[in-house]
Amino acid sequence: MTNFLFGRYLPGNSWIHQMSPQSKLLLSFYFVIVIFFANNLVSYGVLALLIIVVILLSGVSITFFLKGIRPLIWLIIFTVGLQILFSSGGTILWQWGPFSITNLSLINGGFIFIRFLLIIMISTVLTLTTTPLAIADGVQTILKPLKRVHFPVDTLALMLSIALRFVPTLMDEMETILNAQRSRGVDFGSGSLTHRVKAAVPLLVPLFTGAINHAENLSTAMEARGFTDSEHRSKYRIYRWQLKDTLSWIVFLVAGGLVLYLRK
Amino acid sequence: MDKAISFNQVTHTYQANTPYAQNALDNISLEIPTNSFTAIIGHTGSGKSTLVQHINALLKPTQGSVTVYNRSITPTTTNKNLKELRRHVGMVFQFPEKQLFEETVIKDIMFGPKNYGMVDAEAEQAAIEAMKLVGLDKSLSEKSPFDLSGGQMRRVAIAGVLAMKPEVLILDEPTAGLDPRGHKEIMDLASYLHDHDHITIILVTHQMDDVVNYASEVVVMDKGKIVQTGTPAEVFADPKWVYRMQLNLPTSAEFAQQLIDAGVPIGQLPLTIDQLADRITELARKGENPDD
Repeated sequence: MTNFLFGRYLPGNSWIHQMSPQSKLLLSFYFVIVIFFANNLVSYGVLALLIIVVILLSGVSITFFLKGIRPLIWLIIFTVGLQILFSSGGTILWQWGPFSITNLSLINGGFIFIRFLLIIMISTVLTLTTTPLAIADGVQTILKPLKRVHFPVDTLALMLSIALRFVPTLMDEMETILNAQRSRGVDFGSGSLTHRVKAAVPLLVPLFTGAINHAENLSTAMEARGFTDSEHRSKYRIYRWQLKDTLSWIVFLVAGGLVLYLRK
Repeated sequence: MDKAISFNQVTHTYQANTPYAQNALDNISLEIPTNSFTAIIGHTGSGKSTLVQHINALLKPTQGSVTVYNRSITPTTTNKNLKELRRHVGMVFQFPEKQLFEETVIKDIMFGPKNYGMVDAEAEQAAIEAMKLVGLDKSLSEKSPFDLSGGQMRRVAIAGVLAMKPEVLILDEPTAGLDPRGHKEIMDLASYLHDHDHITIILVTHQMDDVVNYASEVVVMDKGKIVQTGTPAEVFADPKWVYRMQLNLPTSAEFAQQLIDAGVPIGQLPLTIDQLADRITELARKGENPDD
């Protein structure tokens, strides 16, 4: 659990750390869209190169980064496995009942693997270099135009920042409850599937009880400090578009153009 | 005396080999005798909780080894077979009421014993005994633990640990947030378990009064190291040092210290309220008959 990197923030002062959150968010979305346009090795190569540059610029060591996303590899392998077994077309190499492996499905599987990896990498860079509060702020900035149609942008941003704020708290609490139940003889993560599902109950019930208590306490605390609505909140930090953002966008747009040019 | 637990040059690093790495224990060697009542004190963040979590293998040392009743835990110990060790070491966490989850009080208390292989009837018997020990009325056994008061929930959680019949009981700030009466009852329970059932008690606490009133040994921690071990009298002998460790003197000692500062010849620092009272009566008697 402690090695899990996805969704955590690593304090720093790198180029990526200094970019404004709204442009980091949009760049990540843009990058994900570009990934779906790539369809051969060269275009994926361009994107892989770009992500390596981004990771280097973020000041996070590559080995640490790779170790951190390793737990997610099983999810990827599972999805890729399904893709390989169930897609059709091309020469059949192996067949068993409804399952078949063809040369095309192998190639597709490989590409999906790369796609997943790239998406996880860019989103990990985003969360590693941006505090949860900054992300919520970025979302608020991006969604601002929706205010015209009376979409509750500020409330949504507040909800998001509260949710993100409680992730580490609940993680800590989960760790404590895990330990408490372990010392009461629960074996987490071993035994049959039914056993494991049963073992989750002593973990989840206290965790949810705790979460609901936190919510109640927080709302009381907010009211006590004079919170009325989320629309007229002032901000302590204001994130402005900078030269770094413009330069990054230029690099990403060029890379995107290159992918479109290089794809089959 | 036998050693129940020994730490041999234990270092623990949280999140080793990452930018978050943090040394919580630094080359610790410690022996805790069987049937002792050991208090572990130190300011917040000094490594007390990390230390006690090694005793039932919730944490494994990054370097060195921990031996609990001839079973040793090293950095390479696998997660299998730890259950047997944990059965001997009961652990009451800070705010243990957070671990309650069952529908009824009795079921929650039976949870631990059943995990360690007791059959239903045995576990129920153990649970009923544990409820009696912690002072929970029998009528509560079919209630939901979530309907109880905070103090009662704490007792249910402690009963859940006692029902497993551990030989070592670790109490991590068991009285935090309790009223004075609840506090005294929990501490008296620990004392009873120690004297009557010969359980080795390890108490993590910030209450210096509890240390002098209940503990036989004291371990003082600072910045992940053990800086002092000994009896309460030895540890509190030097008030200046105690303050430097960001700790307090027990109330009686503090009171006596103020008397000394005001020029009253108290002599050796009394630790408990009884010692203080004795010292003062002695002085008062001397005052009445100056010729003695």
